[in-house]
Amino acid sequence: MAENWRGECSNPNAKTLVPGKQDDSSKKNKKKKETGSQFEFCTVCNLNHDQGQRHKYFPSHKKSLSACLSRFESKLADVRFFLRNPAALRPEHASRNRFWCIFCDVDVEELGSSFACYYNSSNAINHLSSVDHLKSLKHFMWKYGGGMDRLDSFRILDADVTKWRKKCATLKKEAALSEDRCHGPLSGLSNDIHREPNIGIVDHFEDNYTVYPLKSSILNGVTPLQYNTNEQQILYPEIAGGPNAGSLPTKLVSSNASLHSADDSNGVEGNVHSGAAPPWLDSSEHSLVDYNIKSFSVNVASHSNKLEKSRKLNPKRVGAAWAEKRKIEMELEKRGEIAKKECDSGWLPNFGRVWQSGSRKESRREFEMEKQTLLKKETESEISKEIQPYISKRIRKDAAE
Amino acid sequence: MSYVLTTLTKKREVDSVIRDTIDKVLVLRFGRASDAECMQLDDILAKSAREVSKFATVALVDIDSEDVQVYVKYFDITLTPSSVFFFNAHHMKMDCGTADHTKWIGAFRRKQDFIDVVEANYRGAMKGKLIVNCPLPPERIPRYQLLYKDM
Repeated sequence: MAENWRGECSNPNAKTLVPGKQDDSSKKNKKKKETGSQFEFCTVCNLNHDQGQRHKYFPSHKKSLSACLSRFESKLADVRFFLRNPAALRPEHASRNRFWCIFCDVDVEELGSSFACYYNSSNAINHLSSVDHLKSLKHFMWKYGGGMDRLDSFRILDADVTKWRKKCATLKKEAALSEDRCHGPLSGLSNDIHREPNIGIVDHFEDNYTVYPLKSSILNGVTPLQYNTNEQQILYPEIAGGPNAGSLPTKLVSSNASLHSADDSNGVEGNVHSGAAPPWLDSSEHSLVDYNIKSFSVNVASHSNKLEKSRKLNPKRVGAAWAEKRKIEMELEKRGEIAKKECDSGWLPNFGRVWQSGSRKESRREFEMEKQTLLKKETESEISKEIQPYISKRIRKDAAE
Repeated sequence: MSYVLTTLTKKREVDSVIRDTIDKVLVLRFGRASDAECMQLDDILAKSAREVSKFATVALVDIDSEDVQVYVKYFDITLTPSSVFFFNAHHMKMDCGTADHTKWIGAFRRKQDFIDVVEANYRGAMKGKLIVNCPLPPERIPRYQLLYKDM
């Protein structure tokens, strides 16, 4: 049945490969020559491209950019927390407080902060409010098309910085007051070992168990102050609670927020020297386990959600709406709620005919019309085909009379 | 070989096959089982039907059946065997470099050709395209001459 190909037909819808091919390739060549710019490196997408200024409008770049910026914003969230609630900085935790500023291409660390800035994230806050940072931020946004209206979410405004400094100052004063009142050598705000009075603490360390408040307690908000009858204990003021006269026992806890509840219950009882169990093993164990389980289950759920999403069929696929409807119908039919309805004999699938130009509905209409004309012809021919028996003239005459 | 695949003789049956195949490519072969080229095509279809079963269904339609003539006219089937592709009751066109994009006319040379064609249809359909390009090189596409309309 298959015959040899003879030539092109005049159907405008038909495509011919051979002549078209050359046109496409020449167009491509032209396009390449037009761009002709040098290769640049895009830090957002982490690739070299020669698309010049056009690159920042490409969807892939936009995706990577939004991912990048949201990552940076989440890093800033911590810093912003400390902006609102200044807290004392601990040297061992300072090393955890650094981040890479993508706009300035610089590592912002807390280590080596000056004497006056011994609050958490002070370096970060100073950096984010600086003029240089703003400049590099603007340049970055311009270069990578980030949207100049979002600048404020990546920097800290001067007003906020002044507020923060005031808060720090008040904290400092309060700490200083409590320091005077305290027996112990140390109730200062900082663990700055360069400070003279602190050296006293080091000496006392053998004798006393000094416990330091941690960043984690800040994360949980308000912490009730606990008083220890143990005079040897020297403590630091909690942030939200503010400094109190007397000592505040707080345990060395990890930065796990849930563990904080443990402090409340165990704080009054004891410490290492009194033989009490560490907080993360005791009653906090339940909360810790719960927290872990919760986080794990959340992770699993999100992962399974992701998997489900990827398995979901593309809503843009051909006939998606029809398929969904039909699935529901079949479900209902299975359950017996809807009687299986026989599709009417006139149903035709969505079909685009060969000589059709225009939408597929046109082809169906055409076909319907053709059908009707065919039917008419058939009925007409049927009528005309009716054979009648011969009646003689005489009988006809008689019948007429 | 048509013992392996379902042969449809009524419009109702064809309708139900089209409507019940959801999210899978439906290949409807229109032809006569006794015809040599059709037999060749049926052989390929039967052998590859299982392999593409996860994303395609194959059904045979007898062109000589009275009930199905409506479809023969609607789909403009003149040369046999013809294979029409559907996805979710929507017709999938394929540009093979021939005049007629609405169907595949003739047999396939190899099983792999058929599988490639079906895969191309499936991928295009999943992306929302109603017309896809044929992945086969021109030498493996059966050639034919299409008469003009109303001639």
